[in-house]
Amino acid sequence: MTESPQIESRLRETASGLLREKKVSLFLGYEKATLPFRTAPLFLTAADEAERLVWNPFCSANLAVYLPRLFKAPADAREAKAAPAPPTVGVVLKGCDARSVVALLQERQVPREKLLLVGVACPGMVDRRKAERALGEHACLGAGEDARGNVRAVVDDGTEVTLRREQIVADACLECRAPTPALHDLLLGTPVAGKQADAARRRVAELESKPLDARWARFQELAARCIRCNACRQACPMCAGCKTCLLDQTRPRWIGAGTDASDVALYHLLRAFHLAGRCTGCGACARACPMGLDVRLLSRKMSQEVEDLYGFRPGEAADATPVLSAFSLDDSQDFVTEP
Amino acid sequence: MSQTLSAEQGTAAKAWEPKVVAFLCNWCSYAGADLAGVSRIQYPHNIRIIRVPCSGRINPAFLLRALQNGADAVLVSGCHPGDCHYISGNLAARRKFALFRELLQHAGIEPERVQFTWVSASEGGRFAAIVEKVVEQARKLGPNRKLVKSL
Repeated sequence: MTESPQIESRLRETASGLLREKKVSLFLGYEKATLPFRTAPLFLTAADEAERLVWNPFCSANLAVYLPRLFKAPADAREAKAAPAPPTVGVVLKGCDARSVVALLQERQVPREKLLLVGVACPGMVDRRKAERALGEHACLGAGEDARGNVRAVVDDGTEVTLRREQIVADACLECRAPTPALHDLLLGTPVAGKQADAARRRVAELESKPLDARWARFQELAARCIRCNACRQACPMCAGCKTCLLDQTRPRWIGAGTDASDVALYHLLRAFHLAGRCTGCGACARACPMGLDVRLLSRKMSQEVEDLYGFRPGEAADATPVLSAFSLDDSQDFVTEP
Repeated sequence: MSQTLSAEQGTAAKAWEPKVVAFLCNWCSYAGADLAGVSRIQYPHNIRIIRVPCSGRINPAFLLRALQNGADAVLVSGCHPGDCHYISGNLAARRKFALFRELLQHAGIEPERVQFTWVSASEGGRFAAIVEKVVEQARKLGPNRKLVKSL
């Protein structure tokens, strides 16, 4: 059974209530998009427009990505004087999005007191590429959710096709350990249990079982198709929290801008490294990639390593110190070269 | 750095010798290398030393850039844990490097290309031994072709 219609109506009530009572000045949610299998982010400021909010299996975007730029610190005193008061933001969060917010809170990129977190227990979102692939050569004209939570799509020859939810759910959702937001002010929907079977670990182990050169070949396969559009960086809530990105620096220019094999490799290596202990596995990067690459190939390993070495799970406790800002005298050092 | 290295690359084509870039912290490892020098301890001359204030100052991007610019291996050395001139720089660095090395291995880069160690100001002999080991391993691996940028 799907809960989407109930969640949607409660979402609209909540948003209009919060805006009317001036508890929030901005409400972030999803609205209907023009293309099937998608929704668009909605920035709501008027209570009477809350009817535009939707909740369906296509609400995959991570809205946490918009938060850091709403609370950007003014550069100098003059800018501080001119800057408007920071908004109070209500935001719709799935389990992964809530983890991103926790990671941003750990890094003090967003103020907790200015946020009203509306958590939604997430049954797993549809990967539009998987759905399109499942439809084969047919183009989809429109899609919606049926009563059992599966997706019904109308295709170009006028027939209706039912796609089973578990077949088209996103990879990130298959790897999700906490689909119900742990940190929230309000929670909608019945809590969903996380998947104990560790799909992410299996994928890491699969690559790890191969010899070095095969791993490099796999990485190069990805890198060769990368067009360096930086969409993965733009979509990432943790990258949004970075005030200066090394890609934007020109002195030194750390990574050449083109698609030279070495530059692309450096880009993916450094991005994965910068996400160590921060990546919450929301899959926004993979969703944003126009080439459909598995851009989480390396960051998945980093998340696992951070947990194994330092017992740190990104996005779990808002008061924890980020793992690379902390240290302990007895951290493992097996990797150190001895004469 | 890139110009010098690529200029050397041209002449080194006949008899290949590994090039190792070493990032040494100012307070311990650089002094350790100095001690190796004044004590006349011999070590391979394949090493190019870059002095940094602290091992905590080293951004993994430095190491990748060195490899991209034609280094065959990179060595990072700082004070022993607990002895950092800045109290905890090397401890923060240790976490960074542990993860970084795992990352490189996962991507398929030989872990011996990026080596980390601790050398104190009194350990000239240890420094020489480490350099010998790192150069030996780099020689065994052969030229770095995976990350080097060819224009």
